Formats: sequence, structure tokens, C-alpha cells
Amino acid sequence: MLLEQLAGNLFQGLVLGAVYGMATMGLSLIFGVLRIVNVGHGAFIMVGAFVTLWLFTALGISPLVAVPVAFVVGLGLGFIFYYTAIKKLIKAPELASLLATFSIGILLEEVIKLIFGSEFRGYNWALPKIDLGVTVLPLSKLYACIGSIIIALILYLWFNKTRAGTAMRSVVEDTEGAKVCGVNVDRVYANSFAIGIGLTLASGVLLTMFIPVGINPYMGGSYTLKAFVIAVLGGLTSPYGAFFGGLVFGLIENGSYTLFALIPGVEPFALTRFLSFLMLLVILLIRPTGILKGK
Amino acid sequence: MLQVSELESGYGPMQVLWKPSIRVRKGTITSLLGPNGVGKSTFLMTVFGSVTPWSGKIIYEGEEVTHLPTHIKVDKGLTLVPEGKHLFGGMTVYENLMMGAYLKRAQQYREESLELVYSLFPRLKERGKQLAGSLSGGEQQMVTVARALMSKPKMIMLDEPSQGLAPLLVQHVFETIQKMKAQVGLTILLVEQNADASLAATDYVYVMHEGRIKAEGTPEDIKSSDEIREAYLGL
Repeated sequence: MLLEQLAGNLFQGLVLGAVYGMATMGLSLIFGVLRIVNVGHGAFIMVGAFVTLWLFTALGISPLVAVPVAFVVGLGLGFIFYYTAIKKLIKAPELASLLATFSIGILLEEVIKLIFGSEFRGYNWALPKIDLGVTVLPLSKLYACIGSIIIALILYLWFNKTRAGTAMRSVVEDTEGAKVCGVNVDRVYANSFAIGIGLTLASGVLLTMFIPVGINPYMGGSYTLKAFVIAVLGGLTSPYGAFFGGLVFGLIENGSYTLFALIPGVEPFALTRFLSFLMLLVILLIRPTGILKGK
Repeated sequence: MLQVSELESGYGPMQVLWKPSIRVRKGTITSLLGPNGVGKSTFLMTVFGSVTPWSGKIIYEGEEVTHLPTHIKVDKGLTLVPEGKHLFGGMTVYENLMMGAYLKRAQQYREESLELVYSLFPRLKERGKQLAGSLSGGEQQMVTVARALMSKPKMIMLDEPSQGLAPLLVQHVFETIQKMKAQVGLTILLVEQNADASLAATDYVYVMHEGRIKAEGTPEDIKSSDEIREAYLGL
């Protein structure tokens, strides 16, 4: 009985983990290329969620269509914030970019609150559920999971097969080396930031499929924290590392939830959050370069 | 080929270069000598553009390039082999070389450049599929030089290519530099601490001290001046 429940939850964890992973790729891409930690990461996820909500409730557009729309909105926001704020901060001390991305996050939250208000909202995408034996999975979650995997694959191919992707990889490996090869490093910075934000908004769309009534201007905070744990798990600079980090995180979160629920008098959800921070601390202590990366 | 006049630059508030001027003639090997920490690397990086020039003028092939971004300079055939092996450790040797031919202009000559690189460094052909980060120090140095050659340059600035290498390898580095000049027709600006080896290999020498040019001349001039040798080169 318990084993069955655990298996079911682990499966759900894997599905959610793929989306978590995808939701961290943007953070890792931006850190890998620009060496900037986007503390406002979760706010961009939130904007993606609101894009989905608005498209669905106001225009009746499917959340699946919202994925590319959110990506494009994210690209736009990314370029705007890059040229107005980030560009000047790349060579500045870390504190400057931390404060800048932190305030961009607050700015986004307040703008969204002005437009949509601060209550929790949701949308009702009525899709059937599928029975997998160990667990019942709404089709929307399955779509989110498959969507994440497809986006991760596209990013992988783009990184390895295209000229622009290779240029980005070279900057991640060694900025000075990329310069002497003739890579326009400034442009790579701008593109990576915009693509990173685009991916993050797109992940916000997919995450709404796991939170039926959880869309709120301040929902981003917990995703920022989770993304940090996942990014560290995956080695910080590698978007695919982040993807696998997400899978591991989803498994641990859901697996531990089942186990914590066995302890009487304990609120299991709060404990999973505690566990994720414990993980972050332990990983940083033992292997600050990440568990999944070889180096 | 390259004319630098009264270049000033530095990091933050700290000025490193105090108006050094040099001239590099086409098809020659010119070296910039001096002990550690006198601004030689900063000089090359400022000419290349990875350090921003504060004032002064850089003229390359008759055209002012002082404030052009690095990727435009590489496209014009001026490149740098930076100090300390800035290669792509997570990519294979072959991928590193291909990155060297990243620009469209260089891409056209990719096969030709690859052949040239393999003839100069046959070892790299054997190591093609290995990760660059797993190579020995000498082999990594070969990769960075080879990668620069892949960009189809007219002029290469080499920053301490012999640093940290065993004496036998140092000799190989200088032989390769000679070949790059003689067989490929490259113009080379070389920064070195290894004064002995570079004096033997160069056509013209500048001596830098505290961000200023203190002496210049043919290697014979420099060698015959006891004053310069003792004061700046420690020979």
C-alpha cells in the first residue's frame, strides 16, 4: 500500500521534475554565460503564468499556444532589461547585479498586481485524466512534462548544432577564448539573457498546469528558491545539468512528501521545503560544483 | 602593419600603460620584453580590445582601429593568443579548432587552415577527439595557438607562449613561431619574459618597464647594451 503510494508519488515527482528542470534552464543559461544570478527568476515564472491565465480567460487560447507566446514575451522583456540594466552590470561587483535583478523582480510583481490584483487565481482547462495504475495523471500535466522535454531537446540541439549556440557555449567555457575566436561577446550576452528569460516565462506556462488556483503576483518566490537548489544540483552553468537536477529534485520532493506524511503531527509540505534547503546546504558544503557535473 | 602610439589604459582607477608607442612591420617578428608585471599583457589586451584603451591611437593596416570591438579586429585578421591557455576545456580539440574558424571569413578557409595547423602541430590531429581540458600543458598551448591560426589571421599577438613549458617545448614554440612567419607569412607581436629565447628569434625588440617603452632596437643592439640587459632584462 505504502510502496504503491510511493511509486505513484515518485512518478508524479518525475513529471513535475521535468517541468522544474525546464524552469531552471533559463537561470542556468544566464548564470553560465553572464555570471549573473537572476534573483528575480521566480517573478518571470509568475509573468509566464499570468500570460497563460490572460490568454486563456480573456481570449480562450489554449495554454499550449501560450508556451511560444510567453517565450516571445520573455525574449522581449529580456532584451529590454538587458539593455536598460544588465548590460552595465556585467563587469560590476556581484552585489550590483543581485540588487538589480531583485528589484526587477519586485517591479514585475507590482506591475502585475496593479493589472490583475493580488488574489489567487486560476483557470479551468478541462482535460481528461489518465489512469496509470499506480497513479492518476491529468492530461495537462502530461502535456507540461512532454513540453518540457521537447524544449530541453530543442535547446540541446540549438546549443550543439547551430552557430549561435556554439558561440554561447564558447562564452560559457571561456569568455576570453571566445573573444579571440571573433565571437561578438556583447551580442551573446544579450541573446543569452533574452533566451534565458524567454525560457523562464515559457516554464511559467507549464507550471500553471500543476497549480490549478495558485496564480498570484507573489507566487514566484518559492520557485526562485527551488530553482537555486536545482541549479546547484545540476552544476550551475549547464542548462541540461539543470534539467536533470530538476528531475532529481522532483523525485526527492515528492518521495519525501510521502515519507514525511507518515510522521504523525507533521505538516509534510513544510518539511519538503526544509529538506530542499538542507540539500542546498549539503551540496554546497560537499560539492559546490554540482552533483551531476563531472568536474 | 601595426602602429600604436601613446597608448594609455588600466583597470579601474589604476593606470598600467603610460603612453608606450611601438611599430610592427609587416612580415616580422617583433617582441616586447620585460619582467613580470610591467604591463606587457595589458598592452596586448588593450591593442586587441579586451581591455578598453583610455587614450592613444592604434593603427592596423593603415586604418584606425583603436575603439573597434574585438570581433571586428579578429575579422580584420588581427588576433591574440592570450596568456594562460584560454581554451574551451569542455570541448574536444577538434571543436576548439573549429571555434577558431567561427567567423564567416575564416569558415571559407577551414579545410585549408586545418591542414596548415595539422602540419605545424601533428599531435593535435591524434588528439582531435580528446577534451581539450584533459591535455598536457604543452598540448593546450598548441591548441590555443592553433585555434588562433584557424581564424585566418594576418597578424597574431602571442602572450607568453612559452610560459610554464619545459625547455624542450620552449624551443619547439619558438621554432613554430619562426615557421608561422616564414611559411605562413604572418606578422607576429610576441610578449615574453624569456628574454634569451626571444632575442634569438625576433627581428625587432621593445623593452617595457612600468608601462613605458624604455628601449628599442634590433636584438643585436639590445644584446650589446649592458645597461639595458642589466636594468630591464636581468641577463
